[in-house]
Formats: sequence, structure tokens, C-alpha cells
Amino acid sequence: MDLRKIRQDFPILQDNSGRKAITYFDTACQSLRPKPVIEAINQYYLKTSACSGRSMHQLAAEVTRACDQSRLAVAKFLNASRKEEIVFTRNTTEGINLVANSLNLQKDDVVLISDKEHNSNLIPWQVAGRKKGIVVKRIPSKDDNTFNMAAYEQMLDNKVKLVSLGSTSNLDGVSIPAAEIIKRAHAVGALVLLDAAQTAPHQRINLKALDVDFLALSGHKMLGPSGTGVLFGKYRLLEELEPFLVGGDTVASTTYETSEFLPPPEKFEAGLQDYSGIMGLGAAVKYLGDIGFEAIQKQELLLNEAITAELRNLPKLKLIGPADARLRGGIFTFYLEGVDSHRVALMLDQMAAIMVRSGQHCVHSWFNAHNIPGSVRASLYFYNTLEEVELFTSSLKKIGKVF
Amino acid sequence: MFCIVAFVVLSILGIFSASNRTLAKEAMDCVLRRVTLRPCNTGFDEKMKAKILGVVITRSEGAAIFLNHYFEAVAWVFFVLLMASSFFAVRGVFLFYVTGSCNGLNSTAFCVFDPNGNNNQISNVSSDCYVKPPTEQDLTLTGVDKSSFPVVNQTAKDDQIFFIGCYACDYTRAAYPMIRELVNKYSDVNFIFADYPVKEKTDYLSKVGYCVNKDSPDKFWKLNDELFVTDKEKLADTAFIDNMMTGLGLDAAKVESCVADPATEKTVQGQFTELRKTKFFGTPTVFINDQAFVGPKPYRVYAIKLKGLLYFMQ
Repeated sequence: MDLRKIRQDFPILQDNSGRKAITYFDTACQSLRPKPVIEAINQYYLKTSACSGRSMHQLAAEVTRACDQSRLAVAKFLNASRKEEIVFTRNTTEGINLVANSLNLQKDDVVLISDKEHNSNLIPWQVAGRKKGIVVKRIPSKDDNTFNMAAYEQMLDNKVKLVSLGSTSNLDGVSIPAAEIIKRAHAVGALVLLDAAQTAPHQRINLKALDVDFLALSGHKMLGPSGTGVLFGKYRLLEELEPFLVGGDTVASTTYETSEFLPPPEKFEAGLQDYSGIMGLGAAVKYLGDIGFEAIQKQELLLNEAITAELRNLPKLKLIGPADARLRGGIFTFYLEGVDSHRVALMLDQMAAIMVRSGQHCVHSWFNAHNIPGSVRASLYFYNTLEEVELFTSSLKKIGKVF
Repeated sequence: MFCIVAFVVLSILGIFSASNRTLAKEAMDCVLRRVTLRPCNTGFDEKMKAKILGVVITRSEGAAIFLNHYFEAVAWVFFVLLMASSFFAVRGVFLFYVTGSCNGLNSTAFCVFDPNGNNNQISNVSSDCYVKPPTEQDLTLTGVDKSSFPVVNQTAKDDQIFFIGCYACDYTRAAYPMIRELVNKYSDVNFIFADYPVKEKTDYLSKVGYCVNKDSPDKFWKLNDELFVTDKEKLADTAFIDNMMTGLGLDAAKVESCVADPATEKTVQGQFTELRKTKFFGTPTVFINDQAFVGPKPYRVYAIKLKGLLYFMQ
């Protein structure tokens, strides 16, 4: 991987418009975008700005074709069985909400989640619990925040209808043994939904091999445009799901009393879609595919190990998650005892334009349970460099001396 | 304390920058919470502290450590400084409005509203005139006989303006029209004019003035007004002055004769002696009652002295 060449693909890293050169360590929130993605978005507005699938004119046909190619590209990227299993959404949250609202769960059915889910995979189930009477149970993590398979096995029984887990935590970067979890869930007849928002940008997902039932991801964390996401569902399951959002483009026909829904994925894609975003997402998965996950993971590990080695012994620093960088992907989450996390983040930004996330990272439940007010999260990606890591660690050491 | 300091500073910066306006709003929210005895839980002070520390730490870790530990104390220091500077700023604006100088009447110290000190400029009287150069504190009308000088509204009792000026001096020429305007507007103000020729080439105009005023006081003021608007270079031209007098209906020959009279010379020198008793050191020097105004002040300064701060309502 030619890092220098790759960084040239990201205009924001080349921006010299009077601003300090940025060190972007907030990819877990949203990644930077390379030129091909930006160009694909522009392409829509500059050359094919029209509706997809509805009108018959040339522009519409081009948009329809481009969106179809994007769907196919995403299906290949995830190794789905067919492109119709790919439903375009706005983000992971929407995908999970779709399943939570549409899956035929009955009163007293059990849904298993973990104790460190993003709010996107917590609140929909809390709401569904109140509406449908389902029971939401929490799988406790191990002390080092890794997945507790023993606890999971104990909780699995025939009342469990769905296991909904973040496949990689946005809190600490820890990934779960998804294949094994899915296998055991299926053994008791439960379906599995994976929140892959933090997995898809960093690891190859092989849907066929995983045999997962549903999987949601966000485009904006994997080089794609803001407001783009994907819900994968096994086609058979998607056919059974009631549509969540309904309206234009979801039906073949209607009478005043009835609606004849289109097959998946159209029945889930109500209203005019974000065509430029979909085209941009297609370009993003192609870009990721060209770089390759082996190279991506290698670079992330190199960087995270360097940060971990430098900061491991910093006084007051408390790491969230396992000590071994190999288990944390591209994420280094920490807090300085007695120091407000936002203050640390603002200082890093002010000192050296280092951009990190601070607070509770939409995992308030975990922080509240552990009585930790907040943390700072440095999330790395393949476009980050060792020089940036050095800047980050040296700046943090200085901050450590102040408090 | 930090919120208050930040609110003031950011409000000023906010005039020029939208991002600072947003921060100023946050600061104001914080201030409002503080003054209503509620905790400032908006995070504003924390955010600003972090930003400040982030800047300071890149220059000096020691300073950042100090600032972090004594942030509240430093904020208090800045608060006190802010209050003090605000007081002096308001005082400066007030003084400028009332006296034409930020630092008090006749002060020549720098004033941002009058950076060139135009309101205090004078045409200096030669220091040879005095054993010890006088200062503003020495200026006085005590013991000065003003009876031989031209006067307008002689019967007015309330206020008196005693104007010492020089026909060929720029600063006198700047002040004179304002004083005339005042006198025209307020008939209860007694106005005495005294010429002191700082520019020697206009010496004889003092005698001309004396002679004209002696015979035709009304025409003196017309002549006086004319002299202050006439091109300075022509003031030394006696033929030009004669023509001017003729134009005003005066008998130039008779005035010339009076000017040549040794008695006139003696009287005028006597007037100069009286003027020097005021210890004035330049023109224009305007006494309004007992208060001396050195240099050409803005109109409002003279008006305020005569009629108070709300002079414009009278």
C-alpha cells in the first residue's frame, strides 16, 4: 500500500487553505472521503440528476443503471447471494429500526443484545419491548470488554428469537466471534442481526460464510457519503418482513383500499432515494476493494500498536477495552482520571488539529453502568500515518503533564 | 468570573466574526446563569479553558500547568483588569465628550478619538514673554482688566467668554467660528475678544481692531469676522486691510491715523500686558467664566461648559 499516494486521494488531507494540517482520528464517527467517491456524487448532480426507476427518459435510465450497479457492487463487497438482498438505507440505525419494527416478534419473545451496544442497537429494542412486549436481555461482557461466549450460551434458549449484536464495538474496537455466535443462535432457532457499522470499514465481511440473517452498516464510516447505509437481509426473510417506511416506489399498484408491494428490496425503499449517495457508496466499496482489507488491517494494527506502546504507561491514562491492540482494531479509547474528556479532545484539536471523539460515543448505557463520565476515542484508518500517531502521543503526553 | 470576561471579549470580537458571536451567546447564557445563582452547566467555561490551554501548552508547558491550576485566580485578575479598563474606557469617552480630550481638559496625552491631538493644538507664545514658562494650571483671569477689549452682549450677567486669539493662527481660526456661533445662539453670554498677535506680521491688526472698536463697535465685529475668514497671507497687506475696512463702511484713513497715534500703541501694549497676566501660553485660549480651554475644542465642549450636558435641548 502506497500510503503517500493514497493520502493524495483525500482532498481534505491536502487542504492547505490556511488551516493547520489535520490529523483525523475520528473515522469511527465518519471517515474521510476519497476523490472517486466525491466524483461519483458530483457525477450524479452534474450529469444524471434525475429519478431512478420511475421515469423512462435517458437520464432516469442512467441513474437506474448506476444505482443498480452500486447495489451489485455492495452485494459483491459483502459476498451476498444476490443483489436484491441489499436494501439501501440512510444509515445503520435505520436498518436496525427497520428490523425492530418489521420482524414478527411476539410478546415474551427474547432479543439478546450485549452490554455495550451503540444506542442504535439498544433503543430500537427498548421501544420494541414497550410496544410488542418482547423481552430484551443483555449479555455481559468479560472484564476486558471482550465477548463472553459462556454467558451467551447460558442465555440462549428457544425463547430467544433474535440475537442483535454490534459485530465491532464503537466503544473499544473489540470484535465479536460472529460466526460462532450465529451458529449457536441458529441452533436454537434464533435469527441474528449484526450491527456492522464498525466492522464493514475494517474487515472483510463474507455474508455467505457467516450465514447471518440481517446485517446493517453505514456508508459514511467506510468512505461513502453521509446519509447512506445498507441493510442486508436473507432474501427469504426480507420477503417475510412487513415494510417499515411505505410510500412511493414501494408498490406495483394500489387501490383505495389495498397496496400491492414490490418485492425486496424496493418495498423497503420508500420515496425518492439518495441517488448521489448510492452512487458514491458504490464508488466507496470499489475503492476499499482495490486497497484490500489485508492492507487496511495491517496499517491499523501498526498504528494502534504504536499508540498503545507509547501511552500504555502514561500516568492517569485508563484504557477502555483489552490491553492487546490486536483486539481493538483501529480504536484506542481512554480517559485521563479526573480530567474531562471533552477538555482533552479540545486541547488536542487546539494544539495540533488532532481530531478525536470525546464523550460517551452513543454508548451512554455502558458508561453509566461503569460510572465513567466519558472518554476520548482515537479511531484510526488506513490513511493515517505513524507521524500522526507520534504527534498524537506526544501531544497527549504534554496534556498529561498539565493535569 | 471567566464567563463575564469571555462574554465581554467575545462580544467585541463578535462584531467582526460570526463564530465569536456564537461563543458570545454561550458566554452570555453562562453569565445569566451565574447572576441568577444557578450553576453554569453549559460547559462553556470548560470548553474555553481547554481551548486556551491548548494554545498555551504549545508555547510553554509550565505556563499551561500554572494556568490549569490557577485558572480561576487568573480569571479574577482579568476580571479586575477588565473592570478597571472598562472604567477608564468609559471615563475616557465621557471626558472626550465633555472636554475634547480622553484624559481631561487640555490634556495633550494620547487620545484614540483625537489621535493627532487637534483639540489641544495651539500657536505658541514665545517663552521669552515669561520668566518661567506657564502651564495650564497657571491660567487665570484674576486681576486681568478686560474693560478695554471689544465685547458682545455687554449687559449679559450669566456667563462670560474671554477669547484670546490671533488672526493668522490656524487653531484660533478653527475655534473662533464656534465661539461666534455660541454667542449668536445664547444672548445671555457675554463675549470678549482679545487679539494677541503670535505671528508678528499681524501686529498692527491689534491696533486696527482697537481703533475700529473705539469708534464703531458694531463694525468691529464685522471686521473681526472678516479677518478670520480672509486668506492668512493677505493679513499682512495693509492696503488689503484698508480696502476691507472701506468695504465695511469704515474710514480707513481715520483708522490709519488712529493706529499711528502713540496713545494707541500705549493702550494696545497695555492690553498685551493684561493678557500676559492670564499666563496664557498659546492661542487660542478661551476662558469660559474661570475655566480655560487651550486649543480649538469641539463646539459641544464650549456649549457643555455654558449650558450643561444637555445643551442641545436648550
